[in-house]
Amino acid sequence: MEAPPVAVMPVTGGTINMMEYLLQGSVLDQALESLLHRLRGLCDNMEPETFTDHELVYLLKGQQGNPFILRARRSLSHPTSPWHLRYLGQPEVGDKSRHALVRNCVDVAASHSLPEFLNEMGFRMDHEFVANGHIFRKGAMKVVVSKLSRILVPGNTENTERLSLSCLVELSLLAPAGQDTASEEMRSFAEQLKPLVHLEKIDPSKQRH
Amino acid sequence: MLKEKQLEASVESLTSRVSHVKSALHSFIYKLENEYERLTWPSVLDNFALLSGQLNTINKLLKNEKMPSFRNQVIIPLLLSPDRDDELAKLTEQRVSVFSHEIVPDYLRTKPDPEVEEQEKQLSTEAARIGPELAQKQIQALNKLCSNLLEKLNNPRDDRDTESAALRQNKQSFNPADTNALVSAVAFGKGLSKCRPPGPVAPGHPGQVTMNTGTTAQAAMGGGVVPQQQGQPGKIPSTIKTNIKSASASMHPYNR
Repeated sequence: MEAPPVAVMPVTGGTINMMEYLLQGSVLDQALESLLHRLRGLCDNMEPETFTDHELVYLLKGQQGNPFILRARRSLSHPTSPWHLRYLGQPEVGDKSRHALVRNCVDVAASHSLPEFLNEMGFRMDHEFVANGHIFRKGAMKVVVSKLSRILVPGNTENTERLSLSCLVELSLLAPAGQDTASEEMRSFAEQLKPLVHLEKIDPSKQRH
Repeated sequence: MLKEKQLEASVESLTSRVSHVKSALHSFIYKLENEYERLTWPSVLDNFALLSGQLNTINKLLKNEKMPSFRNQVIIPLLLSPDRDDELAKLTEQRVSVFSHEIVPDYLRTKPDPEVEEQEKQLSTEAARIGPELAQKQIQALNKLCSNLLEKLNNPRDDRDTESAALRQNKQSFNPADTNALVSAVAFGKGLSKCRPPGPVAPGHPGQVTMNTGTTAQAAMGGGVVPQQQGQPGKIPSTIKTNIKSASASMHPYNR
């Protein structure tokens, strides 16, 4: 079976009330090989998986209040695989006892007509990017190391430009709400990646300037 | 008489130590062959530590002053026979079943193994082939290398310190600024080409709205991109703040 773009994001099997626990960091390109090497050693023994995904972020603006945001992803390396639609809730970062960022998360597989469908519903694309990289698993945890590229001509995924000289490193875990032991496990795993990468819970709202 | 007793005792203790090593090796090999799926790295390390400890004890035992010099003992084969010896096979765990003239020279030899002997012979013919001048040159080169190496080993601290300092300075494996850039790109498309024309009104993301309503002051303080803002948090009406924010966003290097 081909790995759908869903491989990058966890699938929830129909449960709505799932939370995503997330730690983020980055690694410079010159240290990427050593990180991958370490991950190969630390993570579950599996075939090395790589991916190339195209993510489109859609907004639905109401009269007032928060716009509704949905993320659509498709695999560029497996064009026949279904699309992947994802909703992410507001991140909770305040709780000091929790070692990871927590947010609501809903994942759905979708057909290839997803962009038209979203357009018909009134969603408008806000931005898009291409991510390619490696996936590792360790139990329920998932490590994604990806290079991000901006798309120079809208819709043309061939014509891209690297966003920075670093790769994004994300450690995530999907669990039902209230399972805070999960973050403990993630923290100890993140410890093992130091000093190559420092995985932290990063509040995105503090970054937007 | 006393000496003999001492010898016997030391041989016995040596045998028991060696059998300890043997059983440890045995169990380790068994684990490697049969339980490799469940074997964890720490337990592998434990096994190695056990082996190294046991070998160390043997070494200490051999270096002990009370240990008689085994080198001075002579072993003479008294009886050779081409027939199978069950007792011997049992003693050696089926490794040696015949004590014959064919294998005894190999088992009781004090010279190196035949293959090693062969290699040594090759080396000595090689040495004889090289002329004395060339040999002298090679000796000098080797001496130079050795003295250089010794020098390095004798003052290792300076080298290592400078090296680790260089490592800290140049070989940083990650860049916090890049982390922030990447995280905000994924979270709300910062630095990614927008499909809509950018306007003075803040692009509508959920994060933005909460920030304006809830954590305005905190967000304004947290960034430090626009230093003038820091002096007067919470005093400017929020619309102006939004303008400053979108202005600073367009100043961002990634937003070319």
